[in-house]
Amino acid sequence: MTHFALTIIGRDHPGIVAKVTEILYRLGCNIADSSCTILGGQFAMILILSHPKMQSNEEFGTSFAPLEADGLSVFLRKLQPGGESAAEIDGEICMISVYGSDKPGIVYPVAKILGDMQINITDLNTKLVGTPQRPVYVMMIEAVLPAGLEIEELSSALDRLKKDLQVDIAVRSITPVEL
Amino acid sequence: MPVKDVLIYPHPLLKKICAPVEHLDEEIDSLIQDLIDTMVAAGHSVGVAAPQIGAPRRVVVVDVSHSKLGRDDNHGLLVMVNPEILEREGRKVSREGCMSVPDYTGNVVRAESVVVQFLDREGKQRVIRARGFEAVALQHEIDHLDGLLFLDRVSSLKTDLFRRKKR
Repeated sequence: MTHFALTIIGRDHPGIVAKVTEILYRLGCNIADSSCTILGGQFAMILILSHPKMQSNEEFGTSFAPLEADGLSVFLRKLQPGGESAAEIDGEICMISVYGSDKPGIVYPVAKILGDMQINITDLNTKLVGTPQRPVYVMMIEAVLPAGLEIEELSSALDRLKKDLQVDIAVRSITPVEL
Repeated sequence: MPVKDVLIYPHPLLKKICAPVEHLDEEIDSLIQDLIDTMVAAGHSVGVAAPQIGAPRRVVVVDVSHSKLGRDDNHGLLVMVNPEILEREGRKVSREGCMSVPDYTGNVVRAESVVVQFLDREGKQRVIRARGFEAVALQHEIDHLDGLLFLDRVSSLKTDLFRRKKR
């Protein structure tokens, strides 16, 4: 079955999900993985779709035109075969919290360290909170450590950054428990 | 004693309310042994509830003493017949998974400490207080007896942080 990635974003209001999924349902699309959330005032949807017959973007025709008319931006992309399933990520899971007074250049230095250490970010959220006078930046990262890397090594690398950036950083291990 | 297959959702028994045990007879004793054998055979499993091996009765076994998270605070192997949680205290979030719901985990809020009343394998009435990971495991297994899966209790798919009240 051919898989597609569909992303939709637009000013948040009730009914977006219903409109989108009605179109997908009538087309005969399956929704596999999906994640939808509010970012700023926007509702952002990311969906992995499959369809038993459709092979190309063109076959969707003007199906999504009503969404565009409703002020939503729609982007459809065909996945390469196999692109719908994730490679097995095996390693210790950790949560990294980064927060502090808002300033330029918080995300990149943290991400750079993780990238250099071959740490795989599986989830990342950032949010600007606090008051307009005292904005606070909060970033939450869920990541998987490569085999052989201890969480302490990551902690000490991030500790150095903590001083440079003047932000608070905490790393903790998450052990999923099978009960 | 046979190791049983663990039922996988959507098996209907997993959503059924289980019947209390009236008599601790041979049948129940061999069910208990099957539960223990199945838990041990499942390697990293720390507990099994009777409905997970196809017996809709109020029996669970829990043993967190071999797991990293429960090693330091536990009651060893617990066999509980007709368990009832009398008290719940505190709040603890764990990333739970379940043998009956493969390939999915979620953050679940449970009590940090519970007082549980139950009959042991010999039919003796007992009351224990469990803390930490053992308390989490007990609440998870006892939920199975009421047809509840951790999916019924997931508090958030990812982090809890952004799901908060408007200022």
